[in-house]
Amino acid sequence: MTQLSPVLSIRGLRKSFTLHTIDGRTVSSLRGVDLDVHAGEHVALAGASGAGKSSLLRCVHRSYLPDAGSVRLRIGPGGTSGDSADDTVELTGLADRAMARLRGREFGYVTQFLAAPPRTGPLEVVAGAARRRGLDQPAALDAAAEALRRLNLEEALWDVDCSLLSGGERQRVNLAAGTVSPPRLLLLDEPFSALDPANREAAVDLVASLAARAVAVLAVFHDLDAMRRLASRVVLLRDGQIAREGTPEQLAEALR
Amino acid sequence: MTTTDSLLTELASADGPIGLLDEGAKREIRRAALTAVCVPGYQVPFGSREMPVARGWGSGGLQVTLAVICEEDTVKVIDQGDDGGVNATNLRRMIAASTGCAETADTREATVVQTRHRVPEEAMTAEHVLVYQVPVPEPLRGVQKSVAECARMHAEADYSPMWVSLYEDLVRNGMITKTTGYPVLVGGRYVMATTPIPRWDVPRLHHSEQLNLFGAGREKRIYAVPPHTDVTPLAFDDVPFEVEHAPGARCRRCGGDDVFLVEAGARGGYVCSDTEWCARVQAGDADLAAHRDRAPLALRPDPARRVRAAAALDGRPGPGPAARSPRSADSPEWALRVDGLGKVFGSGGAAAVVGTGPEHGTAISPRTGAIVAAWDVSFDVAPGEALGVIGESGSGKSTVLACVIGDELATAGSVRLAEVDDGRTDVLRLPAADRRGLRVATMAVVHQNPAVGLDLRVSAGGNIAARLTAAGWRGYHDIRRRAAELLDRVEIPLSRMDDSVRTFSGGMRQRVQIAKALATDPPVVLLDEPTTGLDASVAAGVLDLLRGVLAERSVAAVVVSHDFAVIEALTDRTLVMQLGRVVEHGLTDQLFHDPHHPYTQRLVAAARR
Repeated sequence: MTQLSPVLSIRGLRKSFTLHTIDGRTVSSLRGVDLDVHAGEHVALAGASGAGKSSLLRCVHRSYLPDAGSVRLRIGPGGTSGDSADDTVELTGLADRAMARLRGREFGYVTQFLAAPPRTGPLEVVAGAARRRGLDQPAALDAAAEALRRLNLEEALWDVDCSLLSGGERQRVNLAAGTVSPPRLLLLDEPFSALDPANREAAVDLVASLAARAVAVLAVFHDLDAMRRLASRVVLLRDGQIAREGTPEQLAEALR
Repeated sequence: MTTTDSLLTELASADGPIGLLDEGAKREIRRAALTAVCVPGYQVPFGSREMPVARGWGSGGLQVTLAVICEEDTVKVIDQGDDGGVNATNLRRMIAASTGCAETADTREATVVQTRHRVPEEAMTAEHVLVYQVPVPEPLRGVQKSVAECARMHAEADYSPMWVSLYEDLVRNGMITKTTGYPVLVGGRYVMATTPIPRWDVPRLHHSEQLNLFGAGREKRIYAVPPHTDVTPLAFDDVPFEVEHAPGARCRRCGGDDVFLVEAGARGGYVCSDTEWCARVQAGDADLAAHRDRAPLALRPDPARRVRAAAALDGRPGPGPAARSPRSADSPEWALRVDGLGKVFGSGGAAAVVGTGPEHGTAISPRTGAIVAAWDVSFDVAPGEALGVIGESGSGKSTVLACVIGDELATAGSVRLAEVDDGRTDVLRLPAADRRGLRVATMAVVHQNPAVGLDLRVSAGGNIAARLTAAGWRGYHDIRRRAAELLDRVEIPLSRMDDSVRTFSGGMRQRVQIAKALATDPPVVLLDEPTTGLDASVAAGVLDLLRGVLAERSVAAVVVSHDFAVIEALTDRTLVMQLGRVVEHGLTDQLFHDPHHPYTQRLVAAARR
């Protein structure tokens, strides 16, 4: 059976931090992680605090620079497994400029916090993300409006400085920017933590709908209900390594 | 023994008249005059002699006259168009007595005419040498106080401040008010002051029959307009050059209306400035028809002509943003590339570098004591990308920028621009004039201090006009439109466009500087601490503006700052500098979240307030 190569392929990923400001202490975060995420697949990372879930997302996003290992992103259509080396990019050694461009085009990254430029409004933030994914300005504005509407963000707030928004509003802006004109790879780090039940419902629906658009999702949830509804596979991290993998049902015991 | 008495006796018995200049002095002045003829419009220095008239009273003109005149000549001297004034009369007598030449008041008989203020109304011919007594030879004096800088501007034909002064005159007064000394371009090369003649006489220099020699005794300069030389008044394409004219004015004596008129005094009305011409017209001894042909009547003020000139510009494509040559196939992906750049202040050059840098904890060479301000700095920037350079004071970031723009001479390394020879030429090897030229339309700089990038005496629009005229814009209305558009973009109210930048607040000045930097749509913009020195709310506004304009223009930007907030807001990638070296580089957010170098970690810790 022909199978598309994974969108994201992680091998032997290691990350530690040397804290020069605190007597040069070294803190280890990831100790050799292997992980594939395919198009349309939704992989949830689970584990205790400090297990390395967010570090793994940041290493993929290159907010952290990995010490060793490989992170490959497929940027082409993906052929049969085996001869797909041509359309993948190694992210760990990619030049800064190429990485910056690739990020804008192929990545969505939604954290608990909104990383918006100061003094910009939701519509501008989301339209900017859409533009980086290749839409022209009018199309980007349309897509941004649609994404914000879908997450029930009041239209009166669309041009208000993001720093004036509530936590839940900011998180919806962040989700809209991460998912508008869907990227190839979506990284979610506690994306629903500040949302009230009604808005959370809309957000979960939105993320669920991305599978049909072949987005590969790698997510960290503390929200077990969302994980059960969204994840096609759960990866349990312990001390910077993968301890177990399986469907949410298979790992139900371990997650409790 | 020689006594004064015996010298006087000797002089009194000498053959022929007593010369005021010795033969050596005459030769030197003739040589200067010949050089001036060879390089029309160029001010040739000469050893100005003491004359029996005070400097400022025609000593320069007198020396030129005495050097070129001989016994066979006939001299005429006019002062304010008048042969009969005290100065004119005395100078004429002195020249005739000391050289033995003939004297006259009739231009047709004269061979050498020394003048203050006028070109005679009578036709000048190849038989005439016209010598001007020049009060202020330097046309740039009004816009540039430094003599050295004036010389550089002439050498590089960098005349945009002259155009700005015309622009400012038009803005302030609605018309060109400069009357005597109107600037002209001579032979397509040098800007020359037509001091002391009025605008009325300026067209008479263009393709003239006579040789024109200008002498300035106080400033020790001689310059020339040889016969048949192009002399073009500086004027915007859509604001025609005009001569002085009072509608309906006629000479009260001869009735002429095609002559340069001056006010007649207490009784009102006008009279001819050229008294010789006036008297001959009254005596019927003048060729009126030929004179009317010569008179610059077509250049008299005429609103219809202005409207036509302005209309001729509409629909013309206009210079617009500098037309870029399409990038060739082998053009690099970067717009600016810097390789191995280094700057050592002090002796030793590259040899002084050993023992300096972060690992040694010092930028001072242990060998020579030289300061290694920057060493081995390499980066490139692509269109649509902003690169940050961060580091504390003294880390060398501003030195790198100064070397790239040419304010400092780099000790080592190369700088390439995709615009220049597809990036094959190291611009550090270009002549200084070419490098300065790059700042007009290729690589603009926004300085920390707006006073460096702007002329505070000039209006906001005039500062932008400076950049546009340097890039070759010659349409006054084009310049106004473009300046208004740019000032609007940087949110300067159009009501302030014509106010001098000195009256602006720090934040507004910085906005004007940004507008000026973007005026020619340069592919590379370098920003040196663009918001430092502004208070927090103003800095935020300028930062937002920069983010907007950089994003919409697809320029390659380098942002130098010590402030992580500025770097984070504007850039995608960043270099970290310490003690003159790049210690770390990366995506800006990666440096913030995962700094590796101890110095970067300290910077990030300090930024988290």
